[in-house]
Amino acid sequence: MVLFWILGVIILWGLIMYTLQIVAVRLTLAPTRNREGDPRIYPPISIIKPLKGLEDNLFGNLESFCVQDYPEYEVIFSLQDENDPAYKVVRKVKDKFADKPISIVVERCHHGFNPKVNNLFPAYRHSKYPTILISDSNVTVGPDYLRTIVKPMNNSKVGLVCNLIKGIGGKTIGSIFENLHLNSFILGNMCFLNKYLRIPCVVGKSMLMRKSDLEAIGGLTSVKDVLAEDHFIGEKIRGQKQTVVLSNYLIHNVNEYWNLRKFINRHVRWGKMRWKIGGMKYLLELTINPVFTACLPLLLFGPTEKTLSVLTSVCVIKIIGDFYLGRNLSTPMHPLFYLLSPLKDLVIGLIWLVPFVDDTVVWRGNRYRMGKDTRLSLCSERGGEWKYRIMEGIKAKLAW
Amino acid sequence: MLLCDFHIHTRYSDGSVGLRRTVDLFGQAGFDVIAITDHVVNGDNPFGKLANRFKFSVTGESFEAYMSHVAEEAERAWDRYGMLIIPGVEITKNSFSSDKSAHLLLIDIKEFIPASWGYEKIFLEAKKQDALIVACHPHRTSDKSFIDTLFLWNNRDKYAKYIDAWEIANRDDVFNVISLKKYPYIAGSDFHRVRHLYSWKSLLNCKKDMESVKQCIRSNWGVAITLFRN
Repeated sequence: MVLFWILGVIILWGLIMYTLQIVAVRLTLAPTRNREGDPRIYPPISIIKPLKGLEDNLFGNLESFCVQDYPEYEVIFSLQDENDPAYKVVRKVKDKFADKPISIVVERCHHGFNPKVNNLFPAYRHSKYPTILISDSNVTVGPDYLRTIVKPMNNSKVGLVCNLIKGIGGKTIGSIFENLHLNSFILGNMCFLNKYLRIPCVVGKSMLMRKSDLEAIGGLTSVKDVLAEDHFIGEKIRGQKQTVVLSNYLIHNVNEYWNLRKFINRHVRWGKMRWKIGGMKYLLELTINPVFTACLPLLLFGPTEKTLSVLTSVCVIKIIGDFYLGRNLSTPMHPLFYLLSPLKDLVIGLIWLVPFVDDTVVWRGNRYRMGKDTRLSLCSERGGEWKYRIMEGIKAKLAW
Repeated sequence: MLLCDFHIHTRYSDGSVGLRRTVDLFGQAGFDVIAITDHVVNGDNPFGKLANRFKFSVTGESFEAYMSHVAEEAERAWDRYGMLIIPGVEITKNSFSSDKSAHLLLIDIKEFIPASWGYEKIFLEAKKQDALIVACHPHRTSDKSFIDTLFLWNNRDKYAKYIDAWEIANRDDVFNVISLKKYPYIAGSDFHRVRHLYSWKSLLNCKKDMESVKQCIRSNWGVAITLFRN
């Protein structure tokens, strides 16, 4: 009985945290007085887009960066290989906007273990403006994006501007899970940390900074061997007594045709990163997943009236909460999809356990072992390799 | 080289993706030319009757709406993605026997051609409309749930003269017999689901317009195939 009440307190804590996250999202997205005002100067910006493979809505995503209502900017698409299927897409985007300053940089680069950072090096060298925007290929933005996010950069104390992310476009179970998760857990936690603890989470989907600030922290070389390069760029810039600002401009992460495996792979990878960065703080994450913790009494005490009613209540609260968040974000998601929210939380709860038993990641086709602070090393061929081979064998058998 | 897929189904027949979404899917992935080829099923056997009953087939009645929707999407695709869309159908003559079944792509078709017509009549009418005639999955496929369509291959001596190209690769299958016979070839995805985007495709070395594409396939000069993977 004592255990039941302990679990009850944890569930209640989870629900309180969830409510605070919703409040944080509301406060962050609420229209505020324009403290920064219109910048007198719009610094010219080099937009760097590292690309590998086809993302959902790739053409549209890249196109949105070419139609910015901004005085002076260039777009640099960076690839490692002309045989990459994204190459054809960027060629078409460049042809469509022939009058815009768009460059395609194709260069193999093996400076470090992080393939995205490797992809950034040639584009960074090619960029001509003192302010750069590094942005992933799976996001789409409005034409007012640059004008909005550049405002905080008016203040010389601001070293980096990053953005909130909203998931849109779910058409398969994997992408619906992904968008539900981005729009509740990820967005909620980003707003919570920024609003109450003054810790802005830097996510590589959009990072605006000055080259001088990046070079002061050692440039891209300083993050070439870590997986969470975005987080450490933010940390290092903060270490230079510069401010990191989380802009409330929502960029759209388009996830349309993900399968469940892609969803699981991404969140296993992100979970491992958070475990390696946050250490013991990562343990707290489970307590802010009330659906998963509400399953524990059911598991321990069986299906009784109490355990079932606790789980049902928590699920209903979570569905309503996520629906409310979705409406606030104007997410074009079918209302019935929110019924999947508890199931997604259950999957996320199980994913939460993985970092404790496995410290390897597969990213962009490469397998790495991840050490402290997400430092990457090549995955050893010795010891334990057999289990990856078995997993790969199972995956191959299950492949359609 | 133009990245092309000439074998695509939508919800106008048995595809799981609507026409607009299909166009966006291929446009977003950088394709240059695609042909929308929904099934036109013969109604003279139980298969065909079921297909027509459950709207898994373009019919004489729905053909006009189908063509006008494809034309509308073609205009949008050209403006947005610089992608050429060619209207077509897949004449689907299904039977309980593989030896009697055949599927034919008619690319750049203008008027409705019923699948219940005889082969020669279909070929002649397609030629009259200057449509491209492609024999689909002409040999044994790896899909065990699928009745193979061997009629055209088994009767190639009689019908090869009408056929502009044969599918040398369809989705995940490759038909080496086409290569051995040195027949003109193309490859297509037989797209029904989103995952079929990643499959065999054709590469054409020609201008991006309808006539050049058709000429390139007919002459089979500057045609290559590629396994499109992400």
